[in-house]
Amino acid sequence: MVKIALEWLASCSGCEISVLDLHEDLLKLLDNAEIVYAPVLVDTKEIPDDIDIALVSGSVRNQENKRRLGELREKSKILIAYGTCACYGGITGMADLYSPEEVTKRIYSDNPSTEPSEVPSEVVPELLPIVHPAGELAEIDYYLPGCPPKEGVVKDILIPLINGEKPNIPKKSVCADCSRKMEHKEFNTLHRRVEGEPDPEKCFLSQGYVCLGSATLGRCGALCTRAGIPCHGCGGPSLDILREPNHDIYNCIISRITHLSKMPEKEVEKQMYDIGHLIYGFCIGSSIMEDKKVSLIPQLVKK
Amino acid sequence: MKQIEVNPVTRIEGHAKITVQMDDDGNVSDAHFHVMEIRGFEKFLEGAAVEEAPRITPRICGICQTAHHLSSAKATDAVFGLEPPETAKKLRELMLMGQYIHSHSLHFYFLGAPDLVMGPDSDPAERNVVGIIKKDPELAKMAIKTRAVGQRITAAVGGKPIHPVTAVPGGQSKALSAEERDELLKDARNAVELIENGLKIAKPLFEEYSDAVESLGPVKTYFGGLTDSGKLSFYDGSMKIVDKDGSAVHEFEAADYLDYIEEKVQPWSYLKFPYLKQVGFPDGNYRVGPLARLNIVDSIPTENASALYDEFKDKYGVAQNPLLYHYARLIELMYAGERAVELLEDQDITGTDIISTINEPLMTRKDAETSDVTMRGVGIIEAPRGSLIHDYQTDGAGIIQKANLIVATGQNNLSMDIGVRETAKAMIHGDEISEGLKNRLEMVIRAYDPCLSCATHMLNGESPLVVDLHDSNGKLFKREII
Repeated sequence: MVKIALEWLASCSGCEISVLDLHEDLLKLLDNAEIVYAPVLVDTKEIPDDIDIALVSGSVRNQENKRRLGELREKSKILIAYGTCACYGGITGMADLYSPEEVTKRIYSDNPSTEPSEVPSEVVPELLPIVHPAGELAEIDYYLPGCPPKEGVVKDILIPLINGEKPNIPKKSVCADCSRKMEHKEFNTLHRRVEGEPDPEKCFLSQGYVCLGSATLGRCGALCTRAGIPCHGCGGPSLDILREPNHDIYNCIISRITHLSKMPEKEVEKQMYDIGHLIYGFCIGSSIMEDKKVSLIPQLVKK
Repeated sequence: MKQIEVNPVTRIEGHAKITVQMDDDGNVSDAHFHVMEIRGFEKFLEGAAVEEAPRITPRICGICQTAHHLSSAKATDAVFGLEPPETAKKLRELMLMGQYIHSHSLHFYFLGAPDLVMGPDSDPAERNVVGIIKKDPELAKMAIKTRAVGQRITAAVGGKPIHPVTAVPGGQSKALSAEERDELLKDARNAVELIENGLKIAKPLFEEYSDAVESLGPVKTYFGGLTDSGKLSFYDGSMKIVDKDGSAVHEFEAADYLDYIEEKVQPWSYLKFPYLKQVGFPDGNYRVGPLARLNIVDSIPTENASALYDEFKDKYGVAQNPLLYHYARLIELMYAGERAVELLEDQDITGTDIISTINEPLMTRKDAETSDVTMRGVGIIEAPRGSLIHDYQTDGAGIIQKANLIVATGQNNLSMDIGVRETAKAMIHGDEISEGLKNRLEMVIRAYDPCLSCATHMLNGESPLVVDLHDSNGKLFKREII
């Protein structure tokens, strides 16, 4: 029996649910594997020794998260950074847009429904000042981004790993799976998503709506664009962006819109109405993305 | 003095621990439920275009993501003054039924039931869903199938099973095709049958463990939840509060919540403690979620669930015992299945008029800087774990200036804390504390199905603990956290 562990750090638990979303295949998986540790499902309180495959989801937010991650690494043969938070910090990384003091104030002292109070500090674990993707604080064997990874991918990757086979991991961007038509249009305005009704057949970027499909790793089957919603980049940066030092989500999207519209690059930049939440929403916490020379993350974060 | 710890509390969503303090005579002097984790959504939503909130906030929780998605979308409808077309409202309600079918069956079968099916004192290595798979594979398959129906509904209506995206200000971005409707209708009818079978197995457990039902987590409180003129309603309605005897004390609209609800901070938990403002803390302690909803409504408007509700009310009246949350959850699971069938049988559900849009372009961010215009929207919904409020204030361009969230689990925080303490005091004497006894403390927490991912949407760090080492070119080469 292959021994599996699931550990969550600062996360939403969507990653754990994505494993349960194997549905009936979960039973097949359990033919060859045993869940030895998973606080969401089983009552084992301490991380056991000799884990074969451990999945860690979420980002590192406090000392307790950090301690558990270190222990899990030590006790696991294969450690997978599972989901976009573990790989790049995910949405939780947006907290880095504000200083810790600003955040604390909003929650406990300057909040319309709360009696102003001190920040809790008894028994609860000490917090770290910024968000760290789990994958940056431990040696990782596989990075598997996705918010959460889709059940098809989970099946195609987790089951071969359990059977000791090499998984086949897709490498394309979201655009590769999107059926919308990209075309050059003489438009001169970026639209907010609440303005107008986008044509369901045409590429969002070609219509002036910000869509990150071309800059995002696609293992999702372009589900959002099929449902009428532009890509928000939840799968993490595309391999092209990860590999090329001068490629970044921001410059990739700005230059694509420039090519598709009649706006000069400067005008596109001027009209870009939000960068922190819209462009870097899922990777603000990532040093890989922050350390690129062309990255705007250093200008956005407050440490 | 000695301290007993249960850490982490398992088979719940998120990070928590229980501590029990013993005096020198071996009696419990105090006990608490501590929520250990926090993130920061209320702050980091600031600066985001408000229409982005419905796709940012589902990441608060991967289990009740649809509830956040919809409460957030309702808040954005209000910000822009948009009324979604009827079909859009029905699609949203259907998506919410998918949420309930998934979340309630996840909680009962995968998290809560192992304590009752395997027994509170059973081997902890077996006391989980894998144990159930081994002991009763048919029951496990039924659980998996029921939950899968919920996820399929969410995927078809919301675009994805986890973190749906289709609710936008003014309506929905995706219509439901006739083929999708046909598939889902088959699924939903099948789910009603599966739930019926599940209830046959589950109901006797509350008799079998009536001692635990009566003794674990005792507390008496007010209750709150949405209702549509006295009927159970998850997507819309006014918020009603009843006292411990079931008499109505407040009924108010979402936008007025600040007149009725206030939150207290305690130094030993990151999770705040909401209470009824006009009663005060701690007497104004109220609970939300399945049991609260059955206590505030007069009826459930679907056939099977209505019969189950009557039977439950006859037996328990205004129910206070936390373990009855499980029972109430199963009754609601039936309602969600039946309501999904009703919505799918409704001709409107495949309609294509699904969005109302704003008539003129938004103010630019630059113009908003010099304008006094502000907008505000409050959304409220019944999440599986209870009432969920999203409140956004924006500038004239619809950029969020302030956000406030009151999540379901917070509203049960004080009752979980009291429940743990009272249970510990009644059951723990002397030094020998069995594993089964510790598990009973966890059972108190589990009954509420707390979602600490939701509850800990709040904040981030305080003091600098990171050491960055840079090379001579100023490039970061090592980051240490101490």
